[in-house]
Amino acid sequence: MVADLVFYLFAAVTVAAALGVITSRNQVHSVLFLILAFFTTAGLFVLLKAEFLAALLVIVYMGAVAVLFLFVVMMLDVDFESLRAGVKEHLPMGLFVGAVILAEFAFILSGVHVDEAVQTNAANIPNTQLIGQVLYTKYLFPFEIASLVLLVALIGAVVLTLRKRKDAKRQHIPSQIARTRDEAVELVKVAPGQGA
Amino acid sequence: MLENYFPILVFLAMAIGMAVVMQVLSFLLGPRKPDAKKVTQYECGFSPLSAVRIPFDVRFYLIAILFVVFDIEAAFLFPWAVAFKQLGMIGFVEMILFLLVLLVGYAYVWKKGALEWD
Amino acid sequence: MSLHHFLILSAILFTIGIVGIFLNRRNMIIILMSIELLLLAVNINFVAFSHYLGDISGQILTFFVMTVAAAEAAIGLAILVAFFRNRSTIDVEEIDSLKG
Repeated sequence: MVADLVFYLFAAVTVAAALGVITSRNQVHSVLFLILAFFTTAGLFVLLKAEFLAALLVIVYMGAVAVLFLFVVMMLDVDFESLRAGVKEHLPMGLFVGAVILAEFAFILSGVHVDEAVQTNAANIPNTQLIGQVLYTKYLFPFEIASLVLLVALIGAVVLTLRKRKDAKRQHIPSQIARTRDEAVELVKVAPGQGA
Repeated sequence: MLENYFPILVFLAMAIGMAVVMQVLSFLLGPRKPDAKKVTQYECGFSPLSAVRIPFDVRFYLIAILFVVFDIEAAFLFPWAVAFKQLGMIGFVEMILFLLVLLVGYAYVWKKGALEWD
Repeated sequence: MSLHHFLILSAILFTIGIVGIFLNRRNMIIILMSIELLLLAVNINFVAFSHYLGDISGQILTFFVMTVAAAEAAIGLAILVAFFRNRSTIDVEEIDSLKG
């Protein structure tokens, strides 16, 4: 079955890319691995027939969020090598915690039995339309709250990063446009021979 | 339904295969005799004057954040537009509310002068 | 390709994210990226359950998770930039004073 093959391929690449994110020495490589993980996950979403979310993952995550990370990595002049100093000491602890969490997941997963009733979409409504029909009726309130979350993000980002330079000379276009002939031009009668 | 995506898969495989083949071929066939002069960064005949990495201006970052927020806003418009007929007037009103809230943010950003570049 | 396959994949991704936070606990950018990985793992879970239980709500919750994650990344990185401007480092262990 092709779908199974594609699943294993994408899953393997996703896991490898995630490992790359946390182990790369170079920050830029980390971000690029993150983008790869997003992309293969978008592929997995297509396998799960969630096409809208797959597109969203590509548009929003790869196109915007990952670029944001890339900007920050390029913008800050940080000595990243010195930040990696503790990795060797933290490795046993990290692996231990990882093993514990993985064991917990294995324990829980071994008990999960779901009746996989893949309900065939009876009316054959497209994925995006189905999301729209439910999102704007049943999830109306969270949707409006999402706008507030975005508003907070917008204002917070501006407050945190915007810093006007006081000493810069700026062009003030409205006052330039509002200038009239009367206040800008002065006509002076000059007698012949008097002009200096 | 998944069959519709098969051409995309083939396209992806072709693109990746092509890139890999080109890289491997040039790695295998190209002669390489590196020496110190060849592998240094080229800077018009000088030896490099400074570090290549120049930090970006923070204003690019601010623009990127604004892009992220309005990108999500646009993403919320897609399913709304597709399901518009089923949602009717109520859907229209709630989307107007959503846009109004973000319009407040837009007005704030504009007023603060975050959209200006001087 | 069943529900369990996706759940196992998501569990592995989640674990990698956690280990990433533990390994790079000085570098704030990697920590933020690890959080993105955690959210990605959660999203895979949501979408897989949504598909195999035939309920669209999982996909809508994923939509909201993505919205919040984008806002979180924007604000988190803005804080990072502001912190770097004041202290010239992004070492998490330096972030230990609450005196403004």
